[in-house]
Amino acid sequence: MQQYLYLIPALPLAGFLVLSLAGRYLSRNFIAGIGAGSICISALITILLSARFLQSPPETGAYTQVLWHWFSVEGLVSNISLRVDSLSLVFICIITFIGALIHIYSIAFMREDRDYARFFASMNLFVCAMLMLVMADNLVLLYLGWEGVGLCSYLLIGFWYETPGNYRAANKAFVITRIGDTAMIIGLFLLFKELGTLYIPDVLARATQHFSSGADGVTLIAILLLCGGMGKSAQLPLQTWLPDAMAGPSPVSALIHAATMVTAGVYLIARMHTIFELSPVAMQITAIVGAVTLFVAGCSAMVQTDIKRILAYSTISQIGYMFLALGVGAWSAGIFHFFTHAFFKALLFLAAGAVIETLHHEHNIFKMGGLRKTMPVIFWTFTIGAAALAALPLVTAGFFSKDQILWYAWSAGGGHPVLWALALAGAFITALYSTRLILVVFWGEMKTTPGHLPSRVMTVPLVILAFFSVAAGWIEWPHNILHVDLFSEEVQHVLPATVLKEGLPAEIVFQLIAVVVSLIGIYSGYSLYYGQSPLLQQWKQSPTVMSVRDFFFSGWRFDQLYDALIVRPFLFITRINKSDISDKLYTAIANVSMLLNRQFSVTQNGSLRWYVTGVLIGILFIITLQLLL
Amino acid sequence: MNELQLIPLLPFIILAMASVVTILLIAFRLSHTVIQVTGFLMMCLVVFATWYVRDTLPEEVPPLFIVDGQAALFTGVIIFCVLVIGLFSYIYFEEREENPKEYYILLFLATLGAAILTISQHFISLFIGLELLSVSLYALIAYLRNRNNAVEAGMKYLVLAALSSAFLLFGMALIYMEAGSMKFSGIAEKLPQVSSSPLFLMGLGTIVVAIGFKLALVPFHLWAADVYQGSPTPVTAFIATISKIGTFAVLLRFAQTIHLQQYPLIIAIFSVIAISSMIVGNILALRQQNLKRLLAYSSIAHFGYLLVAFLPGNEAGTEAAAFYLIAYSITLLSAFGVITLLSSREHEAETLDIYTGLIWRRPVVATILAISLFSLAGIPLTAGFLAKFFVLSAGVQQAVWLPLAVLILTSVIGLYYYLRVINTLFGTSGTADVMQKTVHPFFHVSTYITLVVLAGMLFWIGVFPGLVLQGIRLFLLLH
Amino acid sequence: MPVQYYIFLSIVLFCIGVMGVLMRRNAIIIFMCVELMLNAVNLLMVAFSKMWADAGRVDAAGAQIFVFFIMVVAAAEVAVGLAIIVMVYRKSQSVDINIMNRLKN
Repeated sequence: MQQYLYLIPALPLAGFLVLSLAGRYLSRNFIAGIGAGSICISALITILLSARFLQSPPETGAYTQVLWHWFSVEGLVSNISLRVDSLSLVFICIITFIGALIHIYSIAFMREDRDYARFFASMNLFVCAMLMLVMADNLVLLYLGWEGVGLCSYLLIGFWYETPGNYRAANKAFVITRIGDTAMIIGLFLLFKELGTLYIPDVLARATQHFSSGADGVTLIAILLLCGGMGKSAQLPLQTWLPDAMAGPSPVSALIHAATMVTAGVYLIARMHTIFELSPVAMQITAIVGAVTLFVAGCSAMVQTDIKRILAYSTISQIGYMFLALGVGAWSAGIFHFFTHAFFKALLFLAAGAVIETLHHEHNIFKMGGLRKTMPVIFWTFTIGAAALAALPLVTAGFFSKDQILWYAWSAGGGHPVLWALALAGAFITALYSTRLILVVFWGEMKTTPGHLPSRVMTVPLVILAFFSVAAGWIEWPHNILHVDLFSEEVQHVLPATVLKEGLPAEIVFQLIAVVVSLIGIYSGYSLYYGQSPLLQQWKQSPTVMSVRDFFFSGWRFDQLYDALIVRPFLFITRINKSDISDKLYTAIANVSMLLNRQFSVTQNGSLRWYVTGVLIGILFIITLQLLL
Repeated sequence: MNELQLIPLLPFIILAMASVVTILLIAFRLSHTVIQVTGFLMMCLVVFATWYVRDTLPEEVPPLFIVDGQAALFTGVIIFCVLVIGLFSYIYFEEREENPKEYYILLFLATLGAAILTISQHFISLFIGLELLSVSLYALIAYLRNRNNAVEAGMKYLVLAALSSAFLLFGMALIYMEAGSMKFSGIAEKLPQVSSSPLFLMGLGTIVVAIGFKLALVPFHLWAADVYQGSPTPVTAFIATISKIGTFAVLLRFAQTIHLQQYPLIIAIFSVIAISSMIVGNILALRQQNLKRLLAYSSIAHFGYLLVAFLPGNEAGTEAAAFYLIAYSITLLSAFGVITLLSSREHEAETLDIYTGLIWRRPVVATILAISLFSLAGIPLTAGFLAKFFVLSAGVQQAVWLPLAVLILTSVIGLYYYLRVINTLFGTSGTADVMQKTVHPFFHVSTYITLVVLAGMLFWIGVFPGLVLQGIRLFLLLH
Repeated sequence: MPVQYYIFLSIVLFCIGVMGVLMRRNAIIIFMCVELMLNAVNLLMVAFSKMWADAGRVDAAGAQIFVFFIMVVAAAEVAVGLAIIVMVYRKSQSVDINIMNRLKN
């Protein structure tokens, strides 16, 4: 099986090459066949691979394949080589499996689009880059994948580039993630400087010997890597690009901005867990970033009206949970939440895409309504997804993963009651806006007449995802209820086990509190948005509540804040610097080159005598040098 | 000397026979195609012969020659280049008024000269190889005597080459006076006594003139652009690749044997030459509108880069230089191949306006040209990037910082004119469609395929350099 | 006679050659000057060969053989060179090198 590892990223790459080179000449069916087919075959191979991996785990704990050796300089070995351990395996499964479903969905979703081939080409390239990111055995290759997914994200957010504003969203995403990327590459340079290698297993092994716990060097590296993760995963304070990134087509939002790319930061932290464990400060920062983000983004999600922006803020918030889990040292809980979140959030985005498509590109949830009867499949799958998001106890996957995180937020080694309280508040908010979403979109009276309903090609992936949104949680139960922990057992081959504090109240207490809080959340949503709630009307009158609402609506005014703090001063500086002082050096180089070019051109005057003189000047120069030295 | 020692010389004997066979074929009035095919087969035979004698390497053939892995490596590259150039020549000369048959005699003789340079370990063989190369080149450059500029280019090359070989001989004489031997190893033995003598160092200095002239290094570079422009395009490709590979091979062997890099004076001279070549070459190319001249300036700069790998005088440097020469030859061959393919009977495809919007008219050819320019500019995933990278890493090992800094800076400047040409390729097409040549469909198609293969190799080496590097290491170990 | 005299004479001859190449306009004369430079080297080589032979080196005759090689190569160079000069003359009815400046930037 190991020798077929390369096929998993190679097939999407081949799909990309075919579609981008010959896309113009192919029929739509053929394009769809190649675009979705390549990912589906990858997914099949992945499933076979995982089955083999789980049945008979390799002795080293990982499948490895060195494809070729690009170049090497003293320790920096740039191999194109793959390594799949159980952590990567989780990510590969999600990427290819959900990727395949989303591609199939896109066949119908994008059917009418002019740039059918371009869409599938970019999506295939994205899958390839994402797979390289998680399968890389060295950080150079990982970084290649990291930048590759960033590029594809940029291309796909701006996919409908003719609509004004979309290219701005694409640029925003690109620029803001670039801040994180820059920090990350500096972190990688430092890592290489300290450890002399970027081969991941060596990095992890040498880090423990090289750094003492809490050393400045390792803290700096961990924080820089964390910054990279924050940019990619849209965590505070680099979260502002994700809501705008919803300008891309819905399958793109589902694949890139919900299930896979935005969790690259989670992967990076989990992959570099040794580095983070050596630095308690960085761990604390990770946890705090996660907790604050989940709360801040959750508040914003509560008041949005654009269905995709609600989901976007919810994604930021859920990734906040993952960061929180990683930060407190609950490694497998964080990855498990990634695992379940990928299913239900992809489901929600795809279902939302179907709704938007049916309602003639209507994004505002208050202009939807009453779709329960007309679109039953979408309704049921969306409800399952939302229930998972709200962590409806015992029947949804989201419950199992979020419950673990809530418990560890207090009880794990890095846990703290404040973190737990924030996470609990987040759980309440999540339940509230999930309920609001369902009630507003599917109940009430119909405000927009639906167009033609989504075809089966679109609904079947939804049903499959809905099944997993329920079932994915059953592989890992809270251990005080049922002794099933297939997921953490597997992941703990790679990630350290979670250390608990001592002298805690019983776990069941926390679980009950969490259950009650999310039920209260659901109930509050129900009472506020089912029918005409007097409380809501009353709030709409109150200026205080409305200003808070506006504050949340604008994403806690982060855009304005950055505008005032960074963009305006920057524009101010550029206005002062109209003559471009900083660029003078470069224009000077260009001007000097051009000047020299004119001077040197004179020497090429075609006169043989001058050429002979040139040779003699050379000899004289050599002799002079001899006399001088 | 016995007959066993002749065995390693087999490839060179076959190479020498190639021109004799060509003369005979002409005497029997056989057609251009027959000569072309026979020449091709003879070159293949040389390759097989090299393969056949590989087990006997390294073998010294005293006093003039030494056939070792390094020689075999460079000879291999030279033969590869002449195979490709020979193919390009067919469609090029079939279009022209001149009888092309004698061209092949000269081509093989010049190749023989370059090949002799790679195996020479004695001043006599060095001189003979160099002159065999030069004299054949005079005639090759001026071959299309009725074309406007060919004779002028030939005349310029003739005078300057003769002048530089006079200096070479003068230097040799001075070194002989001090060392009492003309064999490289003989000189090396005498080094401790003579290395401080001013006449000896002056001899080394004047030899640099001849080498610098052949490699077109500043300030001996002035001929390059004119000769590149005036020569028939396949001959330009020959000057740019084979002639320089041969010269560089002999420079490398001379430097290795007498440890040239231990003299601060020589290091200083070569550093200055390298730095000024990089600067002058790149800057001259900036606004050049003639593609052949542009490639001439670019090759001045590239041999400046190559000297950076030569300066450290370590094993990594030799490896990097060999890799660089391979990458560079393939790149230039594909660029000149495109020029050959686009040239018509009336017009040499050398001015840039012919290339405006080429990508829309001849997408494949334009893509090949773009790839070779990318490789020259050193963009990652092409062979040129890795070549430059290895040069850099060899230089860093010995901390030759100033040339390295200049290398990086001038590479950036160089990017400008390569991208300018690529930009031209994508421009809106002004000129009418270039006439498709269907006179010789077989050779036309094979040239086309060769170009595609060359461009593919550029990518292949840029992405999977392992095989090439391994090969180079394997050959360099045989000494 | 000490070898320095030969060196001196050769350098003078060589420099005359160099000056001729630099100063003269007639291509044939330039060519003759190059030949003069080669012959200066020939003289030098023979002198050094004698010097080393006197010093007892057995392989000193090699330098004299080299001289023959140089002569042969010079002859070949002249053959090709004069042919090119004839072509130049046919095209422009002159062998003045200053008229050859069509190839330039």
